[in-house]
Amino acid sequence: MMQKLSENILDKFSMDFLRNQVLKNAYGNDDTIIAVRDPRILLVWYLFFGLVPWFVNDLPFLLGCFVLVTVTTLLARVAGLVLLLFAVGVFTQTGYLLAATILFGGDASAIAPLLVLTLKVATVSLASVTVFSGLDPDRLSNGLMWFGCPERLSFSISYAYRMLPMLMEEFQNVLLSYRLRGNPPAHNTVPGKIKYLIYQVKIIIHAFYPLMLNTAKRSRTTVEALEIKGYRYAAVNKEVRKMKLSSLKVTYDDMIFLAISFLWVAVTALVSTLV
Amino acid sequence: MSITQNGAATQSQKLMIFVLSMSLYGLATLFTELIPSIQVGIVEFSVEFFLFIPLVLSMLFDPLSAALGAATGELVFSEIMLGQFGGLGELEKFITVTIGVYIAGRLVKNPKNHVMVGIAAFVGTGAQLLMGTIVDILKVQFAVSDFEAVAGLPESVFATEGFAFLNDLLFSGILFCLLPTLYLVPKLYGKIEPLLGMQPRTKETGLGEISVKNIIVCLVAFACAIGAEMMAESGLSLIDWEAGWAESGTALAAGMVVAAVIAIVMLMVMRKNADAVGKA
Repeated sequence: MMQKLSENILDKFSMDFLRNQVLKNAYGNDDTIIAVRDPRILLVWYLFFGLVPWFVNDLPFLLGCFVLVTVTTLLARVAGLVLLLFAVGVFTQTGYLLAATILFGGDASAIAPLLVLTLKVATVSLASVTVFSGLDPDRLSNGLMWFGCPERLSFSISYAYRMLPMLMEEFQNVLLSYRLRGNPPAHNTVPGKIKYLIYQVKIIIHAFYPLMLNTAKRSRTTVEALEIKGYRYAAVNKEVRKMKLSSLKVTYDDMIFLAISFLWVAVTALVSTLV
Repeated sequence: MSITQNGAATQSQKLMIFVLSMSLYGLATLFTELIPSIQVGIVEFSVEFFLFIPLVLSMLFDPLSAALGAATGELVFSEIMLGQFGGLGELEKFITVTIGVYIAGRLVKNPKNHVMVGIAAFVGTGAQLLMGTIVDILKVQFAVSDFEAVAGLPESVFATEGFAFLNDLLFSGILFCLLPTLYLVPKLYGKIEPLLGMQPRTKETGLGEISVKNIIVCLVAFACAIGAEMMAESGLSLIDWEAGWAESGTALAAGMVVAAVIAIVMLMVMRKNADAVGKA
């Protein structure tokens, strides 16, 4: 039973699965309510929900914010893997603190502030999941550029989303070729298992040698292609920037999205004063 | 794309190094992000398993481009792509990774000198981990409101963070930074540079010693990282949410609700009108 379960999990966690999830996250859902919002509006929205919860200790308000970002995350139809990572991240961040507090003589009184901390962390991360996973990478980088982020960051985002599947495949190929040629130690006993783990880590590190050389070649090609198009001059040219950003347009729907969020926050503020 | 007189990289070569470091380290951190963090007891191994990649690149190429590329790669691939972007915390990581890798790259004058490569890899990792630990302690101190009041919490934070730091340094510093770097740097030296159209770094073409100016810039950047984290403490009195509501809070909140409702209704009507005009 146990063996079957672990096999099942390993099956799910293959390289192809990871690649699919990342791709799905990037390009799979560009028709959701969140994805069609203007990126600038969403970034302003994120600025509020990414910062304000840190400063507020009011429980109803935090709960209200949490509910709102949960709803937007559901609306953005984020890939399952990302949500799993979010859950693991939040609980390891605060769970071990709780354990440590109890170990050092803290009692139940430590739970309440830690719960508030968990709520804050969860709200902030869900807000970022909504904005950064929900948006199309190109729209996201355009939005960041509008706010004056360096051109290199927007370039990196667009580049990353396009190159990542290729890089993953290449890494997998290199790794598999190393495995084919290698002779892994037997891993039935405990020392054997440790040896096997060390062997695996070693292979991964060795695999980076050909990968580094290949990527060096590829990045030279990329930069040369960019240079032909005059990238470095275009990056700092105001005219080019204007042309690039002309596709952004705030619609009434964007304003309504903001207004509804504002309404919800106002209602939670009202509730927190009444309680 | 000619080589300049003193062997320094040209602008486009710096961009190549940036792209190279970004894609490799980004790919690697994507995997570490997907592996659930290993926890033994209360100690979390926040190991940067793949820090050796930017370390190697910064020793062979222009350190600043490699360092910035690595930090950007981590930010873009593992944080933004997976929606794990945590706002202020990422700024801190960005700066600490950049400083750590940059220091390591500057320390190595001649990549053939194995001892120096090893020392640089260890120092770079140590600097990055130490800065991360300091910021982590400060972060918990301001996020939990009545930090001192909770029994046992302050000691536990110092103890776990301190232990995690030592543990990470010895564990990941040696296993995942020192050894792979010592393996990869001599192997790549002289092979990877021609692929980017550059000459290998030698004593003559190196960037020279770390000057006082570099150290000061690093310290200022680290202060920025702390500043971003500590903004909350001053921000608490600046924004002062609770005090504002304490007086006529209910009235203010009710006003906000009404304003929001009016705004929504108005926007709906405007949208409908716009649609009608568009159709007509």
